[in-house]
Amino acid sequence: MREIKTVTVLGANGTMGAGSAAIVAAFGKAKVHMLARDVNKAKEGIEKAISSIKTDTIRPRLIPGSYDQDLEKAVSESDWVFELVAESYEVKEPINKRIAKARKPGTIVSTVSSGLSIARLADAFDEDGKKHYYGTHFFNPPYKMILCELVTHAGNDKKVTKKLGEYLAKTLGRAVVYTNDTPAFAGNRIGFQLINEAAIKAEEYSDKGGIALIDAIMSGYTGRAMAPLDTADFVGLDVHKAIVDNLYEMTKDAAHSTFKLPGYFQKLIDRGDLGRKSGQGLYKMTKTPEGKKEKLYYDIKGDLFVPVPKFDIPFIKEANRRMGEADYIGAMNIVKEAKGLEADIARYFIARYVSYSLSLVGEVVETKEMTDLAMGTGFNWAPASAFVDFLGGPKEAISLITKAKLPVPEILAKAKAGKPFYQLKDILDARSLFKG
Amino acid sequence: MKDAVYVLGGEQTDFQRNWTKEGKTFMSLFREAVQDGLEKVGLTPDEIKKLNKQNRIGVFVGNFDGEQYAVQGHLGAFLTEVDPCFYGVPGARYEAACASGSVALDAAQTKLRSKDYDVAIVVGMEIMKTVSSSVGGDFLGTAAYYEKEAKGVQFPFPKLFGKLADVLLERYKLDEKRYMGALAEISRINYANAKRNPKAQTRSWFMNKEHANTRGGEFNMAVGGRLAITDCSQVTDGAALVVLANKNYAEEFAKKKGTKLSAYPKIKGWGHRVAPITFEAKVAESKGDKWVLPWTRQTVKDAYDRSGLNTKDIDVFETHDCFTSSEYAAISAFGITQPGKEHEAIEDGVIDFTGKKPINPSGGLIGAGHPVGASGVRMMLDIYKQVTGTAGDYQVEGAKNGLMLNIGGSATTNYVFVVGK
Repeated sequence: MREIKTVTVLGANGTMGAGSAAIVAAFGKAKVHMLARDVNKAKEGIEKAISSIKTDTIRPRLIPGSYDQDLEKAVSESDWVFELVAESYEVKEPINKRIAKARKPGTIVSTVSSGLSIARLADAFDEDGKKHYYGTHFFNPPYKMILCELVTHAGNDKKVTKKLGEYLAKTLGRAVVYTNDTPAFAGNRIGFQLINEAAIKAEEYSDKGGIALIDAIMSGYTGRAMAPLDTADFVGLDVHKAIVDNLYEMTKDAAHSTFKLPGYFQKLIDRGDLGRKSGQGLYKMTKTPEGKKEKLYYDIKGDLFVPVPKFDIPFIKEANRRMGEADYIGAMNIVKEAKGLEADIARYFIARYVSYSLSLVGEVVETKEMTDLAMGTGFNWAPASAFVDFLGGPKEAISLITKAKLPVPEILAKAKAGKPFYQLKDILDARSLFKG
Repeated sequence: MKDAVYVLGGEQTDFQRNWTKEGKTFMSLFREAVQDGLEKVGLTPDEIKKLNKQNRIGVFVGNFDGEQYAVQGHLGAFLTEVDPCFYGVPGARYEAACASGSVALDAAQTKLRSKDYDVAIVVGMEIMKTVSSSVGGDFLGTAAYYEKEAKGVQFPFPKLFGKLADVLLERYKLDEKRYMGALAEISRINYANAKRNPKAQTRSWFMNKEHANTRGGEFNMAVGGRLAITDCSQVTDGAALVVLANKNYAEEFAKKKGTKLSAYPKIKGWGHRVAPITFEAKVAESKGDKWVLPWTRQTVKDAYDRSGLNTKDIDVFETHDCFTSSEYAAISAFGITQPGKEHEAIEDGVIDFTGKKPINPSGGLIGAGHPVGASGVRMMLDIYKQVTGTAGDYQVEGAKNGLMLNIGGSATTNYVFVVGK
């Protein structure tokens, strides 16, 4: 792989495009052609890039341009073409054809698609182009979320993959997770499985607090800073739909039914309630008559927004307290032994998360460390293997998964007792992701 | 020095963590640091209980300001909350501003040399993200003469070390551009080194010399005279632990581990000097002296004298780069250059990771982070790692002897330790 001195970013005006360009220009010291639909949009992207990484020193390296006027020239002088245009074959394939014509041999071309087939997208290229075509799935915002899923397909050259992985890790400072060309790759497949199943369960328990209840159960002690349905609201219900619809269509694994978008999500999307970006979705912020901020949630049955109640669930309080005192095993023991519906739901989702994360080893990634790293650095969720240790080891984790009537992943079944299951301690301190 | 003190190992917390954001307590930081450290060394709670029964073990906690940041004092006793194995173990907290970790190390080594104890657990810790940066800046002002130098001053320490930058510039008649460029290079080196350290606070932060040189702009605000944000270390939450032992126990421990006593490095020398507390008095006193910080230099000399070593024998340094100006002054204090010529060593790559006299391969305070009371112990841990070849990606090749300089206040309390095999 040749040295990356010049890069073309397509879709440079979006948050992801601008943020990624900033990383390449700052850490990679590369000259970056910032291409957008028109040059003014590209200039907006440059300002976004600078403010995302907070250094004006990259400005001279960012060159604005448009697809119509500048694409061919920019691509012809680039060592890496980084494409972040809209997430559809209809948009990406014609652009790829133009890139393929303009590209010089040896130029890396990559996409940040989160769900499309990399092999199919690579088809626009000749043999050398296919060899150098990858998915480089950055996460939002790129400066803060350091995950990059490096997605390979059958046509890649292992030597180029190795060099590109080293560049992403050592030069750009990414946490590189190597994944196969499978739907949604590792992070989104695991993350959106859990989010969508949480959305399904919210409907099932809509008379008990629905969305607000499920998020209250899945709070800090379950290893995530932001609860899953709050996350869906944050990323946008339309984006959520695109990912889970694709997964529902393209996968047939044991969690297949959990990728079906709940009806109320579609209802909200149809009327433009897409989440935080449109002002309301699963949640809505409002002010009380006294002028205090108040968070409302969408009551699925009533089809209206109601205030998020303060749930009084004793085992959660106790589990959070123990997490706050760095007693991780103690907190998980509380969860294991608690009684009642909320505890059943908490155990189910912990079991599901561990079971599903580890079940992807072999199909999507080579090792469990890859799924652990993906969730820890792409979602800020405590990795599955850390749960196994805090639950008391593989045997205890298997028991939880069996009780939840979920599949026991092979890697867990074969794990030896008495050895830490989580192996990334010196790269990512999983404890930091469990909140008290 | 007779009666050798051995370093058996230790561990630090990830300095990127924000324990308040995690909803975790002061005690949680203490608990994780102690559990991780003891596990890494291989000192079990049962062994601690046994040693305690024989009255052979003590605990030394370095902390600057638990009272203000976490409303918690009495930290030697607070350790009993971490694990019941510490019931009855003699323990106390030691404070000397940013040199708190070192004063704890010093107390520990003294007890070991006198054979009062055979084993010392030294923990340095500070939790600082509990308050806003301006409130924290005021707390830190108590490390200076608060009434005279910090009261009502926003961010007093950047200002004091900004004055140090001024004095160095004036005293040695340096070319301003060249000097400020050298300070920017110090930032660049520390951030670059931190990228190799998996426990460093800034390991995913962007920095280069060009950016470090943009002082005063929107993205690199001036905070103390000539100094800007990129010239400062950032406070953080963190703790570090090292276990020290005298020969009585180190031999026993080596046998238990199936290794030789020579596997463990020794504290070969140390120095401890206190300069006048106000910066003004320091400057007045040093007029006519070759060094602007003569007591810092003296501390280094004391450590060299006690160890029988000199600059040429030291393969790696960990210095107290609370600000770029403090690292600049340390270069001549170490004897790497003559005073006023420090920029030459910086420009020539002497102090860079692959240079002849690498400083702060860990990233130092600027790169690795500065949890005030933990920094001295963290430096000792890093020197231990370097001389035992266990520093991983930030290992300086072939390092045999290392030196650490830890200072409290505006170079007021100065501590140096020389460690090697």
